[in-house]
Amino acid sequence: MTANLPAGFEALEPFVANWAGRTAADRAALRGAYPPAERAAFHAACAPLIERGLRQLDAKPLRDLDEGERRLLDLFLTYAHVSLAIDVQASDEDRHRPLREAMRVTRAPVDF
Amino acid sequence: MAGQATAFSPVSQSHLDWLGTDPIPAEPYYDPAFYELERQAVFLKSWIEVGHVCELPDSGSFIRREIEFAKASILIVRGKDGTIRAFHNVCTHRGTQLVEAEAGRQSTFSCPYHMWTFGTDGGLISAPDFGQFHVAKEDCSLPKVAVEVCAGLIFINFADRPPPLREWLGDLADRLDTLLVARATAFHEYVYEIDANWKLTYDNFQENYHLRFIHPRSGGAGTGPENPFGYPVRYGFHGQHRTQTIWSNASAPPPPPAAMLAYAAAGRAAAVNGLGVNDAKDYIALFPNFFLFGSPVQHFSHVIMPIDATRSRGVIRIYWIGEDTSASESFAREFLMATARDIHAEDRAVIEAGQKGLSSGALKNIHFQTQEVLCRHLYQQVAAAVERHQAENAR
Ligand code: FES
Ligand SMILES: [Fe+2]
Repeated sequence: MTANLPAGFEALEPFVANWAGRTAADRAALRGAYPPAERAAFHAACAPLIERGLRQLDAKPLRDLDEGERRLLDLFLTYAHVSLAIDVQASDEDRHRPLREAMRVTRAPVDF
Repeated sequence: MAGQATAFSPVSQSHLDWLGTDPIPAEPYYDPAFYELERQAVFLKSWIEVGHVCELPDSGSFIRREIEFAKASILIVRGKDGTIRAFHNVCTHRGTQLVEAEAGRQSTFSCPYHMWTFGTDGGLISAPDFGQFHVAKEDCSLPKVAVEVCAGLIFINFADRPPPLREWLGDLADRLDTLLVARATAFHEYVYEIDANWKLTYDNFQENYHLRFIHPRSGGAGTGPENPFGYPVRYGFHGQHRTQTIWSNASAPPPPPAAMLAYAAAGRAAAVNGLGVNDAKDYIALFPNFFLFGSPVQHFSHVIMPIDATRSRGVIRIYWIGEDTSASESFAREFLMATARDIHAEDRAVIEAGQKGLSSGALKNIHFQTQEVLCRHLYQQVAAAVERHQAENAR
């Protein structure tokens, strides 16, 4: 069995199954899909890796990313939403979620 | 004084006295009879933004738009000659809706009912057993709707002889041409339905008085100790249209790391695209129902389409130049879309609460303070259009 993610990002392997959303709408929904503790664990695992991860992925044009690299990027893109939950809304996140559900994401420039 | 931050002072009422200070009648914000007047006097006579040229990249590319205020389905098509045309999505045989798809690319459009087939220029190309009819093909073209483009934005107008779009936009037309949207090739979009009058909805996005109460977390640098309500630096009035230049708190605490990463990548992309910061803090409000935020890193449009007197639909698009080229750019775009969506989500709920109160009829008037002057200006422009319309009809 091959690894799901590029070498160096093993710490994120446990999150691939639940957090690697394939479209912007999926990722927006993932932000509120799991218990807060799981979301916090995902955030804590991603935060120290994202800067290095994006720099590494930037070495290739987007369309040339292999499957594992693409999955890593999907995790980071979900992290964009999760960061808003944890770093911005914080204790208001539960109250914020139903407000957000009314705003349907209908298009994104690149939905793989 | 050198080294000292200039204290913020809000635009003074004396500059805005010309707009008056009277209370505003509440009824136009819920009354179906007033909405019917607006429909005729404003929406069926104004240029209404419905899309962007990047949605019509090739000849035969089309989009379909449902325009509730006109009870119309509109087909916007790029023809073989490259020209963008708009038609009612109505077969000229017996009225059947021609196209069901929301968007696509076709060289002809065939009606499902009896297979009349139209070209991208709206002309009837063929119809089975046409010899049995008593009409010429030339008289069976799809009914046209006026369509024009400025800065990549597609506007339609249901009036018989509308003024040219650029004339309608006045001095804002040239300004729009310099903004990111004029060169955009891609966008994020999110859409919401709202149980609220279109003006009540629109007004929320042209006053900052609510920021600190409705966006306590997401408001970020929008407010600060020297400007606790985040009032704008400047207002601009351009005929029926208006602008505001937003203030931001230069000494706000830094945003979270994800935001820093996103702003850095978005800033790099803006620099590569040679986008200046001239209009970076300007909201451009085009009469009646369209906004554009000038920021080169989070360049968004927001259109509020009325459905009836107390229901509307909002469409927000964040425009980008080029496809995502790198992981960092994808991250920046997604983050900036998500932050805008968070803020708009907070607004939507409180606007609906406002509609509940207004629709009860409990209030005769509502009140706009000095720093809600753009809301006042919108109401006055709508009321004036309605009056003109009534005067024309009385003649
Ligand atoms: S109604 Fe369209 S072909 Fe008859
Ligand atoms: Fe708001």
